[in-house]
Amino acid sequence: MKSVLVALSAGVALVLTACGGSPTGGNPSTGGPGVPTPPAASLTGAGATFPKPYYDAANFAYNKKFSQVNINYGGGGSGAGISQLTKKTVDYGASDVPLSAKEAAAMGGSDKVIQIASTLGTVSLAYNLDSVADGHLKLTPDTIAGIFLGRITKWNDAALAADNSGVSLPNQDIHVIHRSDGSGTSYIFTDYLSSVSPDWKAKTGGPGKSITWPTGDGAQGNAGVATRITQTPGAIGYVELAYVLQTKMKQAALKNRDGNYVIPSAAGATAAATAFIGSSPSQFSIVNASGKDSAPISGYSWIILYKDQADKTKGTALVDYLYWLTTAEGQSYAINLHYAALPSSMASYDLLALKDVTSGGSALLSVS
Amino acid sequence: MSKGSGDRIFRAIAYSAAALILLIAVVFVIALFIPALPAITKFGLGFFVSRTWDPVRIQFGALPAIYGTLVTSAIGLLIAFPIGLGAALFLAEDARLRFLRGPLSFAIELLAGIPSVVIGLWAFFVLTPLMRDSVDPFLKHTLGFLPFFQGSASGYGFLTAGVVLAIMVLPIMIALSRDVIRAVPRSLREASLALGATNAETIWSVILPYARVGITGAVLLSLGRALGETIAVTMVIGNRPQITSSLFASGYTLPSVIANEFTEAVGDVYLGALFYLGVVLVLITIAVNVIARLLVWRFTRGETVSA
Repeated sequence: MKSVLVALSAGVALVLTACGGSPTGGNPSTGGPGVPTPPAASLTGAGATFPKPYYDAANFAYNKKFSQVNINYGGGGSGAGISQLTKKTVDYGASDVPLSAKEAAAMGGSDKVIQIASTLGTVSLAYNLDSVADGHLKLTPDTIAGIFLGRITKWNDAALAADNSGVSLPNQDIHVIHRSDGSGTSYIFTDYLSSVSPDWKAKTGGPGKSITWPTGDGAQGNAGVATRITQTPGAIGYVELAYVLQTKMKQAALKNRDGNYVIPSAAGATAAATAFIGSSPSQFSIVNASGKDSAPISGYSWIILYKDQADKTKGTALVDYLYWLTTAEGQSYAINLHYAALPSSMASYDLLALKDVTSGGSALLSVS
Repeated sequence: MSKGSGDRIFRAIAYSAAALILLIAVVFVIALFIPALPAITKFGLGFFVSRTWDPVRIQFGALPAIYGTLVTSAIGLLIAFPIGLGAALFLAEDARLRFLRGPLSFAIELLAGIPSVVIGLWAFFVLTPLMRDSVDPFLKHTLGFLPFFQGSASGYGFLTAGVVLAIMVLPIMIALSRDVIRAVPRSLREASLALGATNAETIWSVILPYARVGITGAVLLSLGRALGETIAVTMVIGNRPQITSSLFASGYTLPSVIANEFTEAVGDVYLGALFYLGVVLVLITIAVNVIARLLVWRFTRGETVSA
C-alpha cells in the first residue's frame, strides 16, 4: 500500500522539478539557496522500516535533484541498522529509538556518533465495530490501558460506556491485535502506555519494540494488523496513521493530556513534538504531550552516523543529503506519506548536530 | 596423460566436494552456537522449561514456542496421515480408476510446488474466516466437551496452523508412502490373494504391516518439514507465546518467533535467545530426520523388522 504512495510522491517530485516549481528546477546538479551541492557519491543506509517509505521517496527525489548522488536505503529493521553501522558496512543507520548507552559504546562512545531526528510519526487506534462510526469511539488513557491490559474485555464495559454516551456500544468481546514483529510503532505505543499507566509499566516493564503483551494476538507489520482488524468484528489495534488513512479503517478519538479528544493526524504529531522543547537523542519521548491539538501517541524516527567520517567525499555527500532531508523540501516527502513535519526546533537541533560531523578535523557541512 | 592420473584428479575433485559439504555443515553449526552463547550462558537448560518471553526485561524461555511447534506439527500430521495414506494406497495399489493416477500425481506435484508464502496468503485471507465462521463453531458444537475445542475462536491459532501444515506436508507424505508401498514384494501380495484374501484384507493384513516402518519414516520426514515451516504458520498462528489446551487459541512456534523478532532484536542476549531457539529447532529437526532416514533406510534395504 505504501509503495503506491511512494510512487505517487515520487511522481509529485518529478512534476515539481519539471515545472521549475522548486528553485533548483532548471539545473539538476546544483543546490538552491541554502542547500549545498553534494559531491558525487554512492551512499548506503539500513535500519528502521517505519520511515522507509519516506526515505525511499526522498532518496528518489534527491537523486533527481542531484544525479551525482545515489542513496540506497535497505531497511531491515532498527536492530539490523545499528549492527551494520557498528560494523561499518553502511554509511548511516536509522532507528526508531536513539542508541542505548551500550550500543553507543560499541560504536566507540556516544561522543563518536551523531543522531538526528528525521521525521515524526503518530499512531492511531483502529477498530472494527459496525455500530460505531469513524471517529465516534472515544478512548481515554485509562480505557486504552484497560483494554491492552486485558481488564476491559467487552465493548459495552461500564468504563467505555461512561466516555461514550450517545454511542451504541455492542455486547461484544474485544479482540486486541498488536504487532508480532519488533517495531518502532510498538515502541511508541508502549512508551505511551507506560507513560499514562503505572500498572502497565509495572506489568510489562516499560516501553519496547517487542514486549510481552498481557492480551491479544500478534500480526506482522502495520499491514498485517490492519488486515486482521478489518477481518475481525470487535477488533482493536494500534496502527501507524498512514495505514489507517489508506485502508479507510475507523479510528478512535484519543483524549490527550489537555483533556481534548483528538483524531490522530500529522499536524497533531507536530503539535505534540512542539510541546517538548528540549527534545534530543537523550530526551526523545514525546508521548502524552500537552497542548490542545497534540496527538498523544507520537514519536520521532532517528538517523545515526559517525561524527568522524573516514572518506571526506562520501561524508560530505552524506551530511549534505541529511541536511536537505530536514529542510522544508526534504520534509515535504514525509508529509505526502502522512508522516509529520519536524518542528523547527528539532530541525535546528539537527543542523547543529550535522555541523559537528568532520573528516580529518574539518567540518563537512557548509550551511550558514 | 595416463588413465591413472585422470582417475586421481577426478577422485581429488570428488573428495574435496564431499569435504566441503562436511565443512559447511560444521561451520554452520558452530556459527549458530556462537551468537547463541550469551543466551545459553545466561539461561542454560532452564531455557527449555521457562514460559517467559520478555524482551523488555531480557528474560527468555522457549517452552511456549516448543509447545506450539510440536502441537501444530502433530495436528498437521494427524490430518495429513489418513488422507496421505489413502491417496498413496490408491496410487500404488488400486488397479481400477487407473486414468485418475495421472491427474492425481500432477495435483500432488502442483501442491508440492506452491511456495509456502502463497499458501500462507491464502490461509490468511480465505482459511481463517472459514475456520472462524464454519469449522470452529462446528467443532465446538460437536466436540465442545473436549478441552481442545473450547473458548472463543478467532480463526487464528493452533488448529488453523495445523490445517495449513497438513496441506503442506501432504505431497511429501503421499509420494514417500506410495514408494514404500510399491516396494512391498509382489510375491507377498500374490500369496495373500492366492490364500483367498480380498484386496482390502491384503492391504490391511499384509501390505501395511510390511510397509509400516517405511510409512513411519514418511511420517517423520513430513514432521521434519512441518517443524521448520515458517512463513505460512506465522501468518495464521496468532503469535502469542502461551500454552493452552484449546486448539482455537493463539500460539507461537520456534520459526515464527525468529522470523518475527530478529529485525529489531537489539542486544546480545535477545539476539542470542533467538539463535538459541534456532539451535533448539535444528536439534529437533535433525533428530527427527535421522530417525526417519534410519527407518526408511532399514526398510528399503529389505531388512524386515521382526514381529
